[in-house]
Amino acid sequence: MKLRLSSAILTGKLAAKLSRVCGYGGSSFPGLLARLFYPGALKKLAAQVRKGIIVVTGTNGKTTTANMITGVLQEAGFKTISNREGANMISGITTSFIMNSIASGKIDCDYAVIEVDEASIPEVLNNLSPRLVVVTNFFQDQLDRYWELGQVIGIIRDSLLGQKQATLVLNADDPLVAQFQRTTGLPAYYFGLAGDKNPGKRDPAARETSLCPFCGSPLVYNYCHYGQLGAYSCPDCGFTRPRPQVEAMEAGAEGGYNLTYPGAPVPSIALEMQTQGLHNVYNALAAFSVSILLGVNLQTILVGLRKYRPAIGRMEKFRYGNKQVYLNLVKNSTGFNQGLETLCEDRGGGDVLIVLNDNFADSRDISWIWDVNFEMLTVRQKRLGCFICSGLRGEEMALRLKYAGIPTGKIVTNTSMNQAVKAVLRSNRRSTYIFSTYTALRPVHKIIESLVEKGDKSDQGMPSVS
Amino acid sequence: MIRACHLYPDLLNLYGDGGNMIAFQKRCRWRNIPLQIINRSLTDTKDFSAYDFVFLGGGSDREQKLAASDLMKSRDRLQKAIENGLVVLAISGGYQLFGRHYETGDGKHTPGLAILNLYTEAGGKRLVGNAVIEMKLAGVPTRVVGFENHQGRTFLDGIAPLGKVLLGQGNNGKDGLEGARYKNVFCSYLHGPLLPKNAALTDKLIRLALKKRGLDPYLKPLDDAFEQRAHTALLDRLGLKVN
Repeated sequence: MKLRLSSAILTGKLAAKLSRVCGYGGSSFPGLLARLFYPGALKKLAAQVRKGIIVVTGTNGKTTTANMITGVLQEAGFKTISNREGANMISGITTSFIMNSIASGKIDCDYAVIEVDEASIPEVLNNLSPRLVVVTNFFQDQLDRYWELGQVIGIIRDSLLGQKQATLVLNADDPLVAQFQRTTGLPAYYFGLAGDKNPGKRDPAARETSLCPFCGSPLVYNYCHYGQLGAYSCPDCGFTRPRPQVEAMEAGAEGGYNLTYPGAPVPSIALEMQTQGLHNVYNALAAFSVSILLGVNLQTILVGLRKYRPAIGRMEKFRYGNKQVYLNLVKNSTGFNQGLETLCEDRGGGDVLIVLNDNFADSRDISWIWDVNFEMLTVRQKRLGCFICSGLRGEEMALRLKYAGIPTGKIVTNTSMNQAVKAVLRSNRRSTYIFSTYTALRPVHKIIESLVEKGDKSDQGMPSVS
Repeated sequence: MIRACHLYPDLLNLYGDGGNMIAFQKRCRWRNIPLQIINRSLTDTKDFSAYDFVFLGGGSDREQKLAASDLMKSRDRLQKAIENGLVVLAISGGYQLFGRHYETGDGKHTPGLAILNLYTEAGGKRLVGNAVIEMKLAGVPTRVVGFENHQGRTFLDGIAPLGKVLLGQGNNGKDGLEGARYKNVFCSYLHGPLLPKNAALTDKLIRLALKKRGLDPYLKPLDDAFEQRAHTALLDRLGLKVN
C-alpha cells in the first residue's frame, strides 16, 4: 500500500514538473495521474492533516474565503495546505496534497483549507472528512454544467448527511444555504450581514421571487442585500433567517463594517479589509467565523484579514500611466452586477472591456449575460467612454450592450484579445474596467502585465472555475 | 398601443429569458410603436383578452409547477384569447405547460393546460447545447439560433413544429423537429435568449401583435448589423456555412 502511495505521489510530482516545464500553470493533471495509479491517494494524504480540514463550497466567494482563512491560519503560525491554484475538483485537490507531501507520502501540516467545486462535493467529502464545511451562497451558475440549482443543493445536502464529524459554517442571509442545518441535522454556526440603513435601495418588485426551501411559498423580506440574500421569513411554515453568531453592520458615514460575535472582548469590532464590495464582506465574515471556531485569537484574525490581497481577477488593480486598471473575473450574473456597481460608483468614469468566451469552463451557455443588469450603465452614460467586446462570443456581448441602451457608436467588437486590451488602455477615461470570463482570464492577465506595472505584487492564486 | 404581458417574470426566468422581452420592447421603441408591458405573476388577475402578446420563459421544476397551477385557473380565458389570435411566445418550461401533460426530472406527471396537442415525457440525459433550426418566416427559410437545455422530451400530435433541427436535439432528440406552432402561438426549447439574435422572428411577433390590435403591421426597417453579427458569429463557431 505504502509503495502504491509513494509511486502515485512520484508520478504526480513528475507530471507537475513536466507541465510546468511545458508552460502550464498548476493543474489537475498530476492529481488525475496519481489517482489513476492509486485511487486511495487523496484519502491517505488527507488523513495526516493534524488539526483538521476546512472545506469551502458555494457558488461565489469560494476562492476568496479559502484564501482569507489560509491567511489567518498562517498568521497564527499554523502550517496549512490549500488549493490556491484554484483547481477545485477532485484531481486538482489531489494535486495540492501531492505537492505538499514528500515522496514517502508524509505530509507535515496542521490545517488544510480546500475550496471545492459544488458538483465535486460528494467525492471530495468522502475523501477529506472535513472538520468544518463553509457554504457561502447559492446562485444560478453555469447551467449547462450543473443543471438546476435545486439539484446541486440536493447533491450537497445528501453528501453532508454522511459527515457526522463536521460542523457547518453557513450564510444565515441565504435561505438556500441556511436550510442545511435542518436538512442535514449537523451543528451549524451562522454568519450574516445586518440590515441596510437605507432599505429599499433595490426595488423589491425587480427582485426574483425566492421560494421557501421547505414549503415552496414565496419568502417575505425585511431587507435584501442582493440576490436572495437578506432577512427573509416564510409566512406559511415559519422558516426564517437564523440569528447569526457572527454579524456585521455598516459602521456609518465613514464606511467600513463593525462585527459582533458571542464572547467578543468589546461590543463591536472594526473590520478592515483591502477589498471592495459587499460580497467580500460576506467572504470575510465566513473566514472570521471559521477562525473563531478554530480558536484563533481576535487580533491575529483581524491582522490576517487586513493583509489579504485579492487573487487574480478579483477587482485586481494595475496602474497604466495615470490610469487605474481593474481586472475582474465574471462567472455569473450576480458577480457581474457587483462589478458593474463598482464601475458605476467610480466618479472618474471609465472605459470598459468585456471578454466573453463560451468554452466548457466558462459555461457553453452564455444566456446569463441577459440577466446581467447592464441597463444600470445607461444612467452613468456620460462618465463612461468606450465599450470594447472581445472573446469567442464578443459579438453577442456587443448585442447585449446595444439592447441595454448603450449607444452603438460607443460599442466596438474586436476579436483579437491583444488589440482589445491595448485599445481599452489607450482610451481616455481615468479608469479602465476589464471583465473577463474564466478561460480568457489568464491570457488577458498576461497581456495586461506585459503592458503595465503591477500596483502591488503579492503572491496570488488562480481563482477557481466555478 | 400594443399590450404585452410577461407571465411569471419572477419565476420563469432560468435562462436569461428576460432578454426576449427586452428585444421585443426595444424593437418596438426604436420604431416608435407604443407598447405597454404588464408583468403578471402568482395570484395576479390575468386578462388575456386585453393582451396582444404574452411571453412565458422557463423555470426549474418547482417554479414551473407553481406557475402551472396558477395558470390553470385562467386556462379557459387563455385558450379563448389564443383562438382569437393572441400572440404567444413560450420557451422551454413555458412551452411544456401548453401541452396535455409534462413530466419533471423526478418523473412526476403534471397535467398541462392542454391548449396545444402535445405532451412531454421525462428523458434520461439532458439535451444541452447550441442549436440551430430552420423555420419559414414570411415564406423564407430562416435559420434561428439558440441554446437548448432540457430534460423533457416533447412530442407533437399532429400540430406543426416551429422548425426543423439543423443542429442540436430539438423537441426530443429523435424526430428532428423543434418547438411547436399553432395559430399565433410560438413554442420553442431555444433560449440564449431567442429573440435578440433572431431579429426576423422578433419582428414577426411584433407584426402579429400589431395586427391583433388592429393596427398597421408595417415595420420600419432597422439597422440590424449587431444582430446579424451575433447570429453569424454563432453559426461560424458551430461550423455552419453562413448563407
